Amino acid sequence: MSTEQTEAIVLRMVEFSETSLIVTLYTRDLGRVSAIAKGARRPKSAFDGALDLLAVCRIVVICKTSDSLDLLTEAKLQRRFRAGQRSLVRLHCGYYLAELLRLWTDAGVASPPLYELALRTLAEIDGDQDALRAILRFELRGLQILGHFPALDECVSCGAAVDPPLVRVPFAYQLGGVLCAACRPRHREVGFVRKALFGLAKQLAGPDEADPELAAGDYRDLRATLSRYIQTQLGAVPRTQSLLPTAWVSH
Amino acid sequence: MSEFAGSVNDLVQQLGRLPGIGRKSAERLAFHLLRVPKAEALALSESIRRVRENIHYCADCFNLAEQTRCELCLDPGRNRTLLCVVEQPRDLMSLEQSAAYRGLYHVLLGRIAPLDGIGPDQLTIDALVDRVAGGGFQEVIMATNPTVEGDGTALYISNLLAEFPVKITRLARGITAGSVLEYANKEVLADAMTGRRQW
Repeated sequence: MSTEQTEAIVLRMVEFSETSLIVTLYTRDLGRVSAIAKGARRPKSAFDGALDLLAVCRIVVICKTSDSLDLLTEAKLQRRFRAGQRSLVRLHCGYYLAELLRLWTDAGVASPPLYELALRTLAEIDGDQDALRAILRFELRGLQILGHFPALDECVSCGAAVDPPLVRVPFAYQLGGVLCAACRPRHREVGFVRKALFGLAKQLAGPDEADPELAAGDYRDLRATLSRYIQTQLGAVPRTQSLLPTAWVSH
Repeated sequence: MSEFAGSVNDLVQQLGRLPGIGRKSAERLAFHLLRVPKAEALALSESIRRVRENIHYCADCFNLAEQTRCELCLDPGRNRTLLCVVEQPRDLMSLEQSAAYRGLYHVLLGRIAPLDGIGPDQLTIDALVDRVAGGGFQEVIMATNPTVEGDGTALYISNLLAEFPVKITRLARGITAGSVLEYANKEVLADAMTGRRQW
């Protein structure tokens, strides 16, 4: 057993017994952690209202060496997620971020860059920035950090350079990238993606200075392609993905 | 093999399934029921039987009721222009104990929680909209919990009710009376500042 202090985002809470909660957190230094917060639902607990979805808090957790749940002993609220008080679109983006972080990450495997990305995206969703664009960037940069960013310049099957003079390019969702004309017939789960989206995706995943303009049609197509790609990579449909607008809406 | 007679062991097991009751507490309760007069113990079992057979949800507000409508909905002394929306019957009970509100209620029987697969269709939101559409209410108070999901549920319902001529309000939040600003959490202070009202 070791006692650790770190910063965390609350991803999920399940009621346990009369006053306790089982909390799933994504932490900066410990990766994903599931811990029991004893007495968390009592009015005067050591958690002081810090345990709410998407709240960012400083935590103290006792990590168990056995299979049993870790024990959360303290949580101090750093920032509460408030988007739910003003915009359903922003709220749904927050839910999606929480679910994606939970599905993307493994217990005990820390990734400070992914944590920082999530923190920044949460601030953007909760602030005045375009939340739908922030989620697209989170997905693309997250895929890059996790090593699942699709191959867009060379054939994902044979490695040959792919730059066909086509508007739509064959894209293998399962393999994770574009296909050359020779490899295309041999693969299933192939869709045709507008080539212009590749540049936009690379720019969104790249440094902030390269932040591209997104037309309404770009958002719609990128959203649809990324949703399907993430579903295929995860092997499951995230519950909250359907809450994201398929076309850009004011929020 | 159990250390108690079969029926005592059954009782301990049943009591142990109640929330907050562990094996030791269940044993204490079972022996208490064996010690008290028989009529007192049977009164408890009769109460449990009656509550399970007679209690259902009020046809109007979804509070717990013994008849088609609950006592609060039938009470002629309640202010019928005010409607307070809560998540669970126990939230309604807490508000009633405060004695600060004399209007009607609507119990949602949960909150919208997409991460747990709970959507608006699984709550009593349609019935709430029908009630408000029926007219008569001047104010709808959103008293869902002040959590991300509670706020989201309140916002979702507020959007649905926006087309009706009712004032929609949310429970206030912020600093606890009797506390001092110096030690208040910055998020609590921000809530209090955002929700300030005219003196």
